[in-house]
Amino acid sequence: MNSVVVLILGLVVAFIGYRFYAKHIDTKIIKSDPKRATPAKMYMDGVEFMPTSKNILFGYQFKSIAGAAPIIGPIIAIQWGWLPALIWILAGTFFIGWVQDYSSAMVAMRNDGASFGGLSHKLISPRARIILLSFIYFYLLLIAGAFGNVVVSTTIALKAAPMAWLFLTVGGILAGQMIYRWRKDIILTTVVTVVIAMAGIWFGTLAPSDKILGLDLANSRWLWAIAAFVFCYFAAVLPIWRFALPINYVASYIVFLGLFFGIIGIFILHPDFTLPAYTDFSIRIGPIWPIMFVTIACGAISGWHSIVSSSGTARQLENELDARPVGGGVMFIEMMLALFALIIAGTIYASSAEYGAAIAKGPGGIFAAGVSKFLGALGMPAALGRSYGSVMMIVLAITIMQLVIRFMRVATSELLSDVSPVFRNPHIGTFIACILGMVLVMTGWWQYLWVLFGGANQLMASLALLLVTAWLMSEGRSAAWAFWPMIFMFITTIAALLYTSFNLLQKVISGAVKGEALIGNTLMGLVGFFLVIAALILGAEGMKALKRYRAITKAQVASAAKA
Amino acid sequence: MSEEKKKKGSFFGAVKEFVYGVAAHDSARFALKSRASMEHLFILITMGDMLGVPILPPYYSLRLLPYVVPQISTWKRRMLKEKDLTDGLA
Repeated sequence: MNSVVVLILGLVVAFIGYRFYAKHIDTKIIKSDPKRATPAKMYMDGVEFMPTSKNILFGYQFKSIAGAAPIIGPIIAIQWGWLPALIWILAGTFFIGWVQDYSSAMVAMRNDGASFGGLSHKLISPRARIILLSFIYFYLLLIAGAFGNVVVSTTIALKAAPMAWLFLTVGGILAGQMIYRWRKDIILTTVVTVVIAMAGIWFGTLAPSDKILGLDLANSRWLWAIAAFVFCYFAAVLPIWRFALPINYVASYIVFLGLFFGIIGIFILHPDFTLPAYTDFSIRIGPIWPIMFVTIACGAISGWHSIVSSSGTARQLENELDARPVGGGVMFIEMMLALFALIIAGTIYASSAEYGAAIAKGPGGIFAAGVSKFLGALGMPAALGRSYGSVMMIVLAITIMQLVIRFMRVATSELLSDVSPVFRNPHIGTFIACILGMVLVMTGWWQYLWVLFGGANQLMASLALLLVTAWLMSEGRSAAWAFWPMIFMFITTIAALLYTSFNLLQKVISGAVKGEALIGNTLMGLVGFFLVIAALILGAEGMKALKRYRAITKAQVASAAKA
Repeated sequence: MSEEKKKKGSFFGAVKEFVYGVAAHDSARFALKSRASMEHLFILITMGDMLGVPILPPYYSLRLLPYVVPQISTWKRRMLKEKDLTDGLA
């Protein structure tokens, strides 16, 4: 199939999904009312609750949800063939993805802007809240591990990446200094710092890491894992304006320009898919169901989005009608991003063997090669394009990773400060988060780690849908459009996590793995089992709540009939 | 302004807002959050006078009082609102 056909197919699905399905739900079931006061207006405090234009929120939501996951998922999942991946991306977004993003914003909006902890306490049970929050901690840990792995494998596969990453960091720190300390003009700051970052991408091709550090160090996983976590350490302990935010600011231009011109490049080159449409039901990481459905996470549906939608966006929407474009619309854009990655993986290699050799080194190299090819259509030299692609990959992974480490630090101090006051120290919490993340990166096989992250992420999504279903039923609204996606995601993710954890721990028990892999397998297997148990308890509590709501609705219907 | 010009202006306005949303909205929100946490301390200093109990030397806090009183209702709501981990994420 031709890649342009895939893009057009994506646009058609997005159009129908957004214009008809989403509109139907929004007007007929949720009954969005532009006159109803949103929490942003009702509780405006100039900080968290603040009415904001839908265009700004569209950009904010896109930036918050578009990490590395929608790109890496399809690149790995194409091992089953591009057709199942394509179908899951399109159908998943159409039936489940936007539903979750939109409805989690809506449920928070109609409940005074409450966050998930408060909502689960109110709609399900008090115990649900504690379990959900501890679930989120381990979910964050898996994100740190999976994304850390992406950074490490990309810096090893692409020797231009470290220098470009360094320049980006310098440019970002300078941006913070120029804006907040020297009070320089924002346009001047942007031009200077983005030029520095771009110069780094070019300089990376002239001074690759193996020339500067020697081949041994340039290929050392230890070195780059330490670099990634030291980076996150600074992001977590320094004031946020000094490090994390300005680096994200500069990086967002690089990512945005790369995606924009990359998609134009696809239209110019419009290559055909060279990899097979379907390979096998079962491959090395597992069978197509359930594993592929968690490998492609954010491109089809993602629990991360529900957190952004409920705790961030829902408190800023100034009009209920904006929830559909911001919550739902952005998910369809994310779907296009996943299709972009699928096209890259499916078209740039001549054969499955070539792709197989590339994926063994990690997904970063494949993405960078694709970016290089499509930017090449616009005249960019190949080496420069690869360097550009590698920085995009690192940026997409590390911006989420630094956020995650920062919040694991907060979580450590909240959960453990009663045990000992030492956990209140920000350095201790950050150090614990970094060490746990490092252990995962250094000892776990990255594809299993990715599947576990995807499983936790999708499970989070089904828990969000559970909350939405409980809310819909408590209000006596039609809930099937959220209930069935929740059931599908719940069963699929539990199966995926159990399958992966069982595989990992079986290798530990049978003595098939030793040394580092033993630690990695044990840790990943246990985290997987913990997530399954937490989800099962939450699921049981949720079902009890749903039964309760159903009984109340039935009683109301019966009394109305009598009257 | 003609209809066409208006349309053009609103399109570029929307693009501008989108770029701001992608690049800088986060920074603005965090800046507001940092300022709000400073405000918490500030209000705590003047809390004694608002309650009528002189907890701290009253001269300075009385001078600060007029700045704080208009914000007291949103401050109360922010302090008393239930918070969890996910609040920090977005």
